[in-house]
Amino acid sequence: MKNWVEKYRPKKFEEILGQDKVIERVKEFSINFPEKKKAILLNGKPGIGKTTIVQVLANESNSEIFELNASDLRNKSSLNEKLKPVLQQKSLFEKNKLILVDEVDGLSGMQDRGGVSELIALIEKTPYPIICTANNAWLKKLSPLRKKVELVELEEISPSIIKTLLKKILEKEEKEVTPNVLNNITIKAKGDLRSAINDLEAASALEKPEEIEISERGAKINIFEGLRHIFQDKVNKEMLSTFDKVDLPIDEIILWMEENIPKVYNGQELVKAYERLAKVDLFKGRIYKQQYWRFLVYENAFLSYGISEAKGDTEKKGFYKYQRPGRILKIWLNNIKHAKRKTIAIKYAAKTHVGQKRILAEWKTISPILKNPKLQQELKLDEDEINYIMKYP
Amino acid sequence: MTSEIWTERYRPQIYDDLAGQEEILKRIKGLTNSMNIPHLLFAGPAGTGKSTLALIVVKELFGKTWKDNYLELNASDERGINIVREKVKNFARTKSLGNAPFKVIFLDEADALTPEAQQALRRTMENYAATCRFILSCNYSSKIIDPIQSRCAAFRFKLLEKKDVEKVMKKIAESEKLEIEDEAITAIYEGSEGDCRRCVNLMQSTAAVSPKITKELVSTIISEAKPKDIKIVLEYALAGDFEGAREKLLNVMLKDAVSGQDVIKTIQKEIWNLTIEPEIKVKLTEKTGETEFRIVEGSDPFIQLQALIASFVLAGLGK
Repeated sequence: MKNWVEKYRPKKFEEILGQDKVIERVKEFSINFPEKKKAILLNGKPGIGKTTIVQVLANESNSEIFELNASDLRNKSSLNEKLKPVLQQKSLFEKNKLILVDEVDGLSGMQDRGGVSELIALIEKTPYPIICTANNAWLKKLSPLRKKVELVELEEISPSIIKTLLKKILEKEEKEVTPNVLNNITIKAKGDLRSAINDLEAASALEKPEEIEISERGAKINIFEGLRHIFQDKVNKEMLSTFDKVDLPIDEIILWMEENIPKVYNGQELVKAYERLAKVDLFKGRIYKQQYWRFLVYENAFLSYGISEAKGDTEKKGFYKYQRPGRILKIWLNNIKHAKRKTIAIKYAAKTHVGQKRILAEWKTISPILKNPKLQQELKLDEDEINYIMKYP
Repeated sequence: MTSEIWTERYRPQIYDDLAGQEEILKRIKGLTNSMNIPHLLFAGPAGTGKSTLALIVVKELFGKTWKDNYLELNASDERGINIVREKVKNFARTKSLGNAPFKVIFLDEADALTPEAQQALRRTMENYAATCRFILSCNYSSKIIDPIQSRCAAFRFKLLEKKDVEKVMKKIAESEKLEIEDEAITAIYEGSEGDCRRCVNLMQSTAAVSPKITKELVSTIISEAKPKDIKIVLEYALAGDFEGAREKLLNVMLKDAVSGQDVIKTIQKEIWNLTIEPEIKVKLTEKTGETEFRIVEGSDPFIQLQALIASFVLAGLGK
């Protein structure tokens, strides 16, 4: 079942309240494209409708959204690869396209092969309108981008609009909450409609919604600020809530920490920090295996305070270049390269009463046997699979 | 048609062909003679005959109609307990064929299920108790929840002894017309750590190179199958290049689909060949053992291995 945020995401412009000026501008931009500027940057706080506006625009102009993310923009070759189908075939009969680059504040800066410079290069040659979104377009690293785009500021959504929308949703859902709860949710959302709808959904599911404690959503920080705080600032108790403020799932934050420990720490600090990250992983494993969620407390404590304290009671001044985790991409690429292993393992498993995972784990002992043509025939391996076996020992 | 896969071609078809496990055989024969079995739990290391015995059991029970009355599932390959339950439901719905009083479901690697999924499995076992018997197999019976254990007759499979595996290998050598040195048999047995399936696979890999199986050939094949370049990873780390070591390690693991456990085994052996102080070798071995334990317990082996590599960096500084 869809959550309310998805369920009530506007499909038409008229359903979006409080962003009339922005909508007008975005419409003009797509109709008159190419204008002097070939990209538009929607800037504003989370949960006020940036991405929704782009989706509705695509919907109403019968265009297709082509979405690029930060990792696509990290290097030229992967970007070109991804864009090839978009840039090549432009025919009269094809659907229009819109290129969406969500959350450009997550891109890396101009140094070496930065994502921002790739994006600028793309803007210069694009045959389709580009729409970017950002929570904070005024970051220094985005200043070259700002010159190339038209910056459109989105306002927070007013409490009265939020409240009206929440009431409408309650009506459609045939649910009720007390006026007090409704007011609380509205006030604490601070203009973030998405969080308000999420809170409302949670509150309405309770038996006594008036007892709900709406946790105030503090100012969110981005992952880079979070990393800088943990790795460089003097360790303190507030760090325990640092990652609550980062809008990423904890599993992903673990990967960010893993990637960046050696960027800041050395020697004894490095060992201590990884030791604590290993503890994080240990508790994560126990949560999964025993379904004992209280261990999350320890997982978080080691990930934040624990890793911060690896440097002792000091701070680290200076500039460190934090990087996005590269491992997942690497695993993904590797899986593509060795995709045949899996399909062969499935065929082999069907004949041998052995699990696929075990076959993959013992691949090195099994793969030499698979070179036997009679066996390949028996397993009905196709040409690609046979080529793979012969190519990779 | 006989299979080209030797583990299949030479899979035992009757009780008396099964290598080792004499105690288990005695008990299980009694059960199948009475034509009624309880749920069974087979616990023991890989390649000691669990799946083979399950197959023999159903052949003994059902004779020619065994295929119609037998469902084999692998818990670590199925996507979630609900898929398992769905398959069990579809299979259990129809009546058993022939004169069999029940059907048999073999669930391999049952310890891959979380405790919650096992609770769901327990309910399924109860729902279909009238028409189905379950045979569960696992590496460690301690990972199976008590309510399931108490509903099953448990059988503990032992690692195969050299004499058992030797018999298997000699039999294969004879019918495949191979020449195999005694020392080669020892090398294969040691290289596969009592896992009979691995032994047979190793033997087939070796025979693919030459019908004359020598100790040298076996060692070449075995070292071919081991993760390579782990030594280089450790050398990078000892030289203080943590990020280089980490990148190399990831490449090794991805390229050859090596598991964290295989890496740790290799590291443990490699420590003795490093040029570091004896005292540090001991410290690193302790750390390696701890890491192996945590890989089993944790969720992401690569994170655990990084922590270990970091200790090697420190060891390189003589600390």
